[in-house]
Amino acid sequence: MTTGTRRAEAVLLREVRRTYGTGDAAVTALAGVSVGFRSGSYTAVMGPSGSGKSTLLHCAAGLDRPTAGTVTIGGTDLGGLSEHRLTTLRRELVGFVFQEFNLVSALTAAQNVALPLRLAGRRPDPVDVAAALAGVGLAERGGHRPSELSGGQQQRVAIARALVTRPAVVFADEPTGALDLRSSRQVLGLLRAAVHEEGQTVVMVTHDPMAAAYADRVLFLADGHLVDELTGPGTPGDPGFAAEVAARMARLEA
Amino acid sequence: MLAWSTVRERWTGFVGSFVALTLGVGVLTASLVVFVSAQPAVPDRLAGAAVIVQSPAGGADAESYVEYVPWSAQRADDLAGTLSAVPGVAAAVPDRSFYAQLVLDGRPVGDPQAGDPIGHAWSTAALAPYHLAAGAAPTSDGEVALDAGYGLAPGSTATVLTATGPRDLRVTGTVDGPGIYVADAELAPGVRAIGLVLKPDADPDAVAAAARAAIGDAGTVVAGDARTALEPEAVTRVRWLGTQLITVMVVLAAFATVFVMASTAALNAYQRRRELALLRAIGATPRQTRRLLLGEALVVGVVSAAAGAVLGVLAAPVLGDLLVRAELEPAGFAPSPSLLAVGPAVLTGIVVAVAGAWVAARRAARVRPLEALREAAVDRHAMTLPRWVFGGLSGVVGLALAVLTATSDGDSALTMAIFSAMALILACTLLAPVLIPPVLRALTFPLRRSATGEVVRESAGTAIRRTAATAGPILLTVGFATLILGMVKTMSPAFGGEDARALGVDTIVTADGTPGLSDAAVAALPGTVLSGLSTQVFVDGTPVDALGVVPGAVPVRGDAGALTADTAVVADPRWQAGDTLRLTFPDGEAVPLRVAASVEPGTLTTPIVLPRDLVRAHDPSALTLTAYVRGVPPTAVPGGPGVRAQDPLAYTAGDDEDQLVWLFVLVMVGMSVGYTSIAVANTLVMATGDRRRDFRVLRLSGATSRQVLRMVGAETALVVVFGTAVGALVALPALLGIRAALAEMTGVAVRLVVPWPELSVVVAVCAGLALGAALLATRRTLHHAQPR
Repeated sequence: MTTGTRRAEAVLLREVRRTYGTGDAAVTALAGVSVGFRSGSYTAVMGPSGSGKSTLLHCAAGLDRPTAGTVTIGGTDLGGLSEHRLTTLRRELVGFVFQEFNLVSALTAAQNVALPLRLAGRRPDPVDVAAALAGVGLAERGGHRPSELSGGQQQRVAIARALVTRPAVVFADEPTGALDLRSSRQVLGLLRAAVHEEGQTVVMVTHDPMAAAYADRVLFLADGHLVDELTGPGTPGDPGFAAEVAARMARLEA
Repeated sequence: MLAWSTVRERWTGFVGSFVALTLGVGVLTASLVVFVSAQPAVPDRLAGAAVIVQSPAGGADAESYVEYVPWSAQRADDLAGTLSAVPGVAAAVPDRSFYAQLVLDGRPVGDPQAGDPIGHAWSTAALAPYHLAAGAAPTSDGEVALDAGYGLAPGSTATVLTATGPRDLRVTGTVDGPGIYVADAELAPGVRAIGLVLKPDADPDAVAAAARAAIGDAGTVVAGDARTALEPEAVTRVRWLGTQLITVMVVLAAFATVFVMASTAALNAYQRRRELALLRAIGATPRQTRRLLLGEALVVGVVSAAAGAVLGVLAAPVLGDLLVRAELEPAGFAPSPSLLAVGPAVLTGIVVAVAGAWVAARRAARVRPLEALREAAVDRHAMTLPRWVFGGLSGVVGLALAVLTATSDGDSALTMAIFSAMALILACTLLAPVLIPPVLRALTFPLRRSATGEVVRESAGTAIRRTAATAGPILLTVGFATLILGMVKTMSPAFGGEDARALGVDTIVTADGTPGLSDAAVAALPGTVLSGLSTQVFVDGTPVDALGVVPGAVPVRGDAGALTADTAVVADPRWQAGDTLRLTFPDGEAVPLRVAASVEPGTLTTPIVLPRDLVRAHDPSALTLTAYVRGVPPTAVPGGPGVRAQDPLAYTAGDDEDQLVWLFVLVMVGMSVGYTSIAVANTLVMATGDRRRDFRVLRLSGATSRQVLRMVGAETALVVVFGTAVGALVALPALLGIRAALAEMTGVAVRLVVPWPELSVVVAVCAGLALGAALLATRRTLHHAQPR
């Protein structure tokens, strides 16, 4: 997978519905959402609790299967793929950064970064791994285990791991949820740099307007519907934009 | 490499598996080394006879050993004459052996097995061969040559105990091998083997072939390894007993190891589901996840199997020594490690490790990547399909057997009650996740008002998997311990004691340090003595146990009193009164005897009762195993060397066979308790480490460290009580069933004996280990989880 052959839309959702349970107990998490994430874009997905933003991320990343509608990543339709094929596709095209528990505790930072390559059966080039760690400012920490790293450092290792395969898209689920302000800024800055300097694509679910203000585009979800969208001014963490995002959120939660 | 890293880093999660597997492979290795070493051997005293001719094989006796019909002395001499003419044979020596024991300082030395006497004719010394160490060979009656190890010099007088009584003999020489040698073994019964000593350059196989041609079907010719058939039955029996114990140990160790490995692997995989889900999310396929867990199991398996093999090889001599001391292996037995023993043990260990992880790995591979994103809180699926299937099946089988127990009788009822209980215990263990919530709710009902109580109640009830993993092994152990200990204790007094009392016997006299009482010892007993000479006769080639008693003094009921000096009484449906039996005695002589009376089978201690004088005449080595004394209490019976007088009940309780059974039981229960302890401690250590977050929340909500420890302690105690209660309750109906079956069989009321002391030890060990493991792990976890 090289960047040159990428389609304009890294991820495309068409009329995606997701319901849990059946009959009277059925809960609709996504009620027909169509959205595309352009290659080289930084998108934040926001919404009140229960709005379906996590489900959207899971469906878009191939972690959960939609009840109806289609999801394509890098031009491949996920519908009908076997669990094995879905896994290998995720391995090649998708990077993940979760809120917590991102790293395998038994492995060093460098081993964690190299893990996706090893799982794909490739022999990781130590130079690439070192470069990925240096890219998140942890060149010196490759030999440390997760328990010897701070929460912010762990998240940065996770970002290095997500980016090392040069995936079509990186999904981040509340990546700053468990971090202090300074570490949050570092993590958000790194994600933004990946988009603007490396041409990566990032989709981030967050409930924090400050975090969302680092993105180029902010999508708002409510009751499983896409209800609003804002485009940022282009400066990371712009306080005015953050205030505007916060105001929209307040209106949705009211 | 990932597997190796995780094992190295998360070693706490593998300690339990490692310990269990190391011990399992250790037990297996030691047992197999002993087992492989314990092969039949050519008796030392016949080692010098390259070819041996055995008397014709008869049928098998009551314990399935093939017995050989002896040749008479005359026939043996004729055959020896024929055989010594065979080319290549230097000498053909009939093996003439009899019961003899040296008495030193008033005490019989050694305790030779009845089937392996040490009294021999001097000529047989050539078969070992043993040589004179000093002095000369015995040449006439009243002379003896002895094992130099006894320390009696030539010229001194030796008191030798034989079946008739002690006798003083003049020592003419000492021998460099074991045994008591006389000039001509007039005390020897018939001959069952003739040893051929070959000329230096003779080929054993050629001689064997020539010997076969010379004697035809008069005997069986064996050479080389086939001579192990000459091993005395007593030695074979001893080794068979040892093998039984070893088999029990191996089966138990294997079962327990698989159990511990499987439950540990399951818990381990469950605790790491987030990590596994993360791996799945970032691109590990189900197959890779499965391979990771199996790889870990392989690492643990190889390391612990190697450690276990070393442990086992070191332990084998100790085990061998213990078995010899418990008289479960012949004296002089020394196990030697071989690849044949260690190889399979190591391989089994590795296979068990991987197999134990198999189910867990398959389940873990199905972890969905989404779980990495969720807070896993409550166990939702502690019950797996295999648990439902096997648990349900065991339950149905157990209940069905319980119903059958009520409708069947005697022996089969006993067996069914045991299997019923085993099946029910297994069912309860497997279905524990279903049983736990309601039972716990009932048990903790009084606790619901205190805050601590509430947390205990809820966390034990919701973390079903942890509770089941702890309670399961306890339930299993307490259940089996109650069943087995109770069964043995209930059965022991049921047999024997009542019979003796019914006969009005006040004292039972048995041999102490000798295989049986000599005629002199029996004659010295006061009061009315009921006794009989034990022997074995052949009827048409079939070995039958017989007792020689004085006619008119028969301690039996009904028609058995019809015995006269030249008739037999039988208690065997094969023969009727009026039949004439052709009996071959141990001296090889055949005697026709009329059956005076036939009584109900089982009413006599042996199938045939014969006149005492006839037995003495044809079996010079016959001894009295038990003498019953009426009218004299044990204290009034003169002790004397080799005599033990007891009252009937003490005699029953001290029965050798019972003690052997008790030893088996203790080994089994001990090993189960050991394994349970490992399983429980391991589970608690692993599970407690996982609860760091819970503890922190509790501490943050204002609970002191002491309160948290108390909660964990109470929770653990609750689980132990649950396991104990359910285990004991399940075993109880089976014990009652066994009691009913026994009562029906023996016709007397049987008291249900619950061995409280032993059971208390079992429960105490389980509880102590569970509490210790849980509290230590909690304290360590609390230390790491200070509220910040």
